[in-house]
Amino acid sequence: MDIFLSLPFLQELLLSTLRMATPILIVALAELYSERAGLVNIGLDGIMAFGALAGFLVSYQTGNPYLGILAGALGGILVNLVYAFGTIQLGAQQIVFGMAINIFAPAIASFIYKMAFGSSSSLAQATLMAAIPIPGLSRIPFIGDVFFNHTPIVYLTFLLVPITYVFFAKTIPGLNYKSVGEYPKAAESSGIHVVMVKYKASIICGALAGIGGAYLTTSYISTYSDGVVSGRGFIALTAVIFGRWMPGGILLAALFFGFTDALQLRFQVMNSKTPYQLLAMIPYISTLFALIFFGIKKAGPASSGKPYFREER
Amino acid sequence: MNKKLLSLLLVFALATTLLAGCAAPATTTAAEATDVANGETTIAADAKAYKVAMILDTTIADGGWGAASYNAMVAAAEATGFETQYTDGIASADFATNLRSYCDLGFDLIITPGNQYSDAVNEVSVDYPDVHFAILNGKIETANVVSMLPNAEQIGYMAGALAGLMTKSNNIGFIGGMELDTTKMKLQSYEAAAKAVNPAVVVASAYAGSFSDSAKGKEIANSMISVNDVDVMFGDASAVDSGAREALAEHEGRYDIGQPADLVKIKPMPVLISSVVTDNASMMKIVMEDVKSGTYGNKTIFGDLANGTLSVGTFSDKVPADVQAKYLEIIEQIKAGTFIQ
Repeated sequence: MDIFLSLPFLQELLLSTLRMATPILIVALAELYSERAGLVNIGLDGIMAFGALAGFLVSYQTGNPYLGILAGALGGILVNLVYAFGTIQLGAQQIVFGMAINIFAPAIASFIYKMAFGSSSSLAQATLMAAIPIPGLSRIPFIGDVFFNHTPIVYLTFLLVPITYVFFAKTIPGLNYKSVGEYPKAAESSGIHVVMVKYKASIICGALAGIGGAYLTTSYISTYSDGVVSGRGFIALTAVIFGRWMPGGILLAALFFGFTDALQLRFQVMNSKTPYQLLAMIPYISTLFALIFFGIKKAGPASSGKPYFREER
Repeated sequence: MNKKLLSLLLVFALATTLLAGCAAPATTTAAEATDVANGETTIAADAKAYKVAMILDTTIADGGWGAASYNAMVAAAEATGFETQYTDGIASADFATNLRSYCDLGFDLIITPGNQYSDAVNEVSVDYPDVHFAILNGKIETANVVSMLPNAEQIGYMAGALAGLMTKSNNIGFIGGMELDTTKMKLQSYEAAAKAVNPAVVVASAYAGSFSDSAKGKEIANSMISVNDVDVMFGDASAVDSGAREALAEHEGRYDIGQPADLVKIKPMPVLISSVVTDNASMMKIVMEDVKSGTYGNKTIFGDLANGTLSVGTFSDKVPADVQAKYLEIIEQIKAGTFIQ
């Protein structure tokens, strides 16, 4: 078992962890922006699926994965505006609308892909985004390759963590934003346009979740297939709760998911005799245990999940 | 209240994640189905139009098993004069409902591409004795259910022999989607064949737990390369395999063996050295002929090298001529049943 201690193994494990954590992290941050404005959005998986398709199509047509990421963001916003209209304007049940998004968005994505590419026996391939090593830092032995030799989306995602922290904890717009998720009536009475904040939240959430999906098909792998998202949206949702609605906590949660998943794949490869179902459960089982031990002491935004009726008493 | 909602949400999220693998989007083809029904009334005037339908849990654009099965049905239907229809992205719980709908729409034959549909077919076929059912990779034989069974053992032998001949590091890999009987069989015989041609070979295997998570396929292949120095791989996991190919393509001298279509011929990639080709269309053609001639039922159509259902795909230029010759010799042995006793 000395293989666990060998440097190349650790380096590969950490690299794999970062790659797998990135889509979960960015989508979990998307959910944080949504929930901070009182909107529980469980439609992340659907938004990701649509973002993945939009990103892939544009990157395939133009040969430019950056435009693909942009298209993923726009596609995500488009899908999430449906959710926003239903829950903010019409005051509909957020869980129901989120679920509806999860059903209809992947189906539309599947339909568009079939229209564009038919049912070929091989998948269409687009250009993959190249990694951009950060000059200087990427030369550091071991750490350089693990942390500073990635695609820009990975840097952006990890940069978003401190940015989000500062925004919510240290800035006035951030505190105003948060108040909408805590007690919208009080926020409204102090002059905050609650509905506007909620729409902004939906746009940020859609864009980030869309980028999360597009990351999969433009920076991770170069093909789109139905089900490429494979429940990552739901894992992101769990990461928000696991991370206690704090950007730092969410970062740890996403890295934890990435790490356990990377580890279980390596266990499988090294030991083919163990039933794979047992190993594949590791990320989920460890989450359950972590939640039990941390307990739900610090809950999320107080008004999360509740529709806001402006003229209601 | 909030606490309750939270825990409910959490349980839901975890449960859905577990199920997410099977929760493919439901596409309704109701509109298309009525189209066909309308078209049928006009055609029915001159001759009886035979109709065949397929239901799939994956999609027909998955670049793997789903696409291959659907294309096989279309090819066989063109040859025998059947009209085709399909519904894809169906969750396991809805298999039976979808089968019943096609029965009620008056379809003559329903093809299900996989063993996972057997229970649903079993249940529905009893209620519709006049409708014919066919299961690919199935085992059921009744008066109106026929199974088509490509020989998984031979597929594993074919891939394993080539992998064993091509590997330089003596480490080869296998990725499974789910632990199906046929996949287990393929892995077992893949290993046996590789060891028969090259006793030093060590096989690494892993299951992605999905047929669509291509990103995970890439991670599995990456870890196989870095941990075990695997240089030839074979997979039984549709879109997951295409992810694995991307990881292999990033390294020099690492190869993949494709299936079930002749991938090197359709779309040459430097990483693909050859394919194990399964001609599902020829088996489906037999099924359709049986429906027309009224001799349907109580049989399993076996597909192997001897009857041409399995064949060796196009080689890429990465396979040296002497290896090709040696490999084709082994194929003859597999065909004759003398390869591994």
